[in-house]
Amino acid sequence: MDAIQVRGLERSFGAVRALDGLDLDVAEGELLGLIGPNGAGKTTLIRMLAGLLAPTGGTVRVLGKAPGRAIASEVGYMTQAAALYEDLTVEENLSFFGRIYGLSPRDARARAAVLAELVELKDKLHTPARDLSGGMRQLVNLTCAMVHDPALLLLDEPTVGIDPLLRRALWAHFASLNAAGTTILITTHVMDEADRCARVALIADGRTLATGTPQELRATTASGSLEDAFLHLRDRGAA
Amino acid sequence: MNGRRIRALAGRIIRGLRHDPRSVGLMIVVPLIVMALIGYLVGTDREPLRVGVSAAAASDAGSAAYRTAFVTALRAQPGIRVVTVASEAGGRAEVTDGSLSGLIVIGGTAVTGGGAPVNVVVAGEDVRVEEPVTRAAAAAAAAASGHPFPADGMPGVTVTRIAIPTGRHPSTITYAAPALITVFAFLFVFMLTSVAFLRERSSGTLDRLLASPVTRADVLIGYLLGFVGFATVQTMIVLGYATLVLHAEIAGSFWLVLLILALLVVGVVNLGITLSFYARNELQVIQFIPLVLMPQIFLGGLFWPVATLWPPLRWLGDLFPVTHAVTALREVMIGGKGPSEILGQLGALAAFALVMVLAGVAVLRRQRA
Repeated sequence: MDAIQVRGLERSFGAVRALDGLDLDVAEGELLGLIGPNGAGKTTLIRMLAGLLAPTGGTVRVLGKAPGRAIASEVGYMTQAAALYEDLTVEENLSFFGRIYGLSPRDARARAAVLAELVELKDKLHTPARDLSGGMRQLVNLTCAMVHDPALLLLDEPTVGIDPLLRRALWAHFASLNAAGTTILITTHVMDEADRCARVALIADGRTLATGTPQELRATTASGSLEDAFLHLRDRGAA
Repeated sequence: MNGRRIRALAGRIIRGLRHDPRSVGLMIVVPLIVMALIGYLVGTDREPLRVGVSAAAASDAGSAAYRTAFVTALRAQPGIRVVTVASEAGGRAEVTDGSLSGLIVIGGTAVTGGGAPVNVVVAGEDVRVEEPVTRAAAAAAAAASGHPFPADGMPGVTVTRIAIPTGRHPSTITYAAPALITVFAFLFVFMLTSVAFLRERSSGTLDRLLASPVTRADVLIGYLLGFVGFATVQTMIVLGYATLVLHAEIAGSFWLVLLILALLVVGVVNLGITLSFYARNELQVIQFIPLVLMPQIFLGGLFWPVATLWPPLRWLGDLFPVTHAVTALREVMIGGKGPSEILGQLGALAAFALVMVLAGVAVLRRQRA
């Protein structure tokens, strides 16, 4: 079964067509990179998969069901900007989201401690979120999204504004989560990050240009750069 | 709806405020400063009210004896100073020009073994005058007739209100306390909820909540419980300062005062959530405050009488929750009324709360697919 199945998805905001007949399949256990420029419709798609936005056309299935509360406890959603409570400490943020997903206060605290150990945030547990650096915030943001051990993680530009060292650490976490069986859909506009995905989907103007392994997509142009491949495919699509 | 999630949401709000001592400090200190200032400006007006007594010619000896007993008993009542007026008409004129606070008119014929009809004449609708004068008249009637008042078959105390030009009576702290408590509760709860909810929206945590199994009802109830606690503490502080330091009185039930404020807070929390949806940033939310609160203060009869306003403006005032909260609080705190006597106001506040909860649900619905 596909973890995500999107067919002819459309969404308009007034006159703007954010999604214009987008197709996408993400197999269970896959780490798929959704690559496209700013305004391609990545965030709109992620918000729809998270059940925050209704499509104006087409179909979406997430874990075999329509997005929404029925599958909410199976899905982890990491927002683009760090969605944290600034006045709460890291531990309080983590255990709050744990309790939102039905853990008891005690279990939520225990889970927060385990996750903090995992992502090496243990010494920051009692730091208020407002005092964290940008990279740390993203790390906590990711941890909040996986507090309920979801089968599917939706990550919206998780590495924006992160230094190379922390970016590498984040990708290492994605890889180990994926190795443990979590399906991950990750969006980015940084082409080099595509190489870290098993499969990528290139999207532009609300449509899927191509999907395949990074190698396959590179093979479509002589230069072998993914950026060139993207531009080539987009021009071909426009023609 | 899920108890565990609601507790988490309410706990999040309380914990957040606990890590934000400056906001909490402002919540407590600002009302105290304003109360102290008002207490200083108005002072504690404890002069006895000047009340005139006028009696129709007694029809028989029994009635004359009753009249004498009534006036003697009236002179013994606390808080009023009794003067005899020459005629009812002269007394009314003195009430109108303000040299008398009230006039008590005793009927000429007393019922055997009972009393004579008593009419209390006051100017305007100032409950600070009407209530103590009426109470004194009732107590005097009870003392003179030897029956608890009002007993069955006995003539009661009627009240006549003379229309007066507005703004003559100075405010006292007792009269101002219900209005101040209501305004503070409204203002702070509105500010806290609308800003907290705006942050929830702009930081993305609301998206995160709505992408979780949380229901809209969980969010609203969680917010409510989180803020009701703070609103209660703040109300206690204002109430405590008003009663202990400024000697404002609470004649009625303290619990009824809390019930009135709780209904108001439920409505205001949801009003804050609803309006924060229409603001893009915190400045815009704060700009809603004059829009939401000022008309209620001006038209609600909080500090200025509204009885003589242009009727459509009065009707508008009747739509405002603050009007009903202040009226109800005055009835309870000054008039000592029970819940059955303020059912209209309680109903209006409950309706406000219900409408606002529905508005909050509608706003949250738009945030989720």
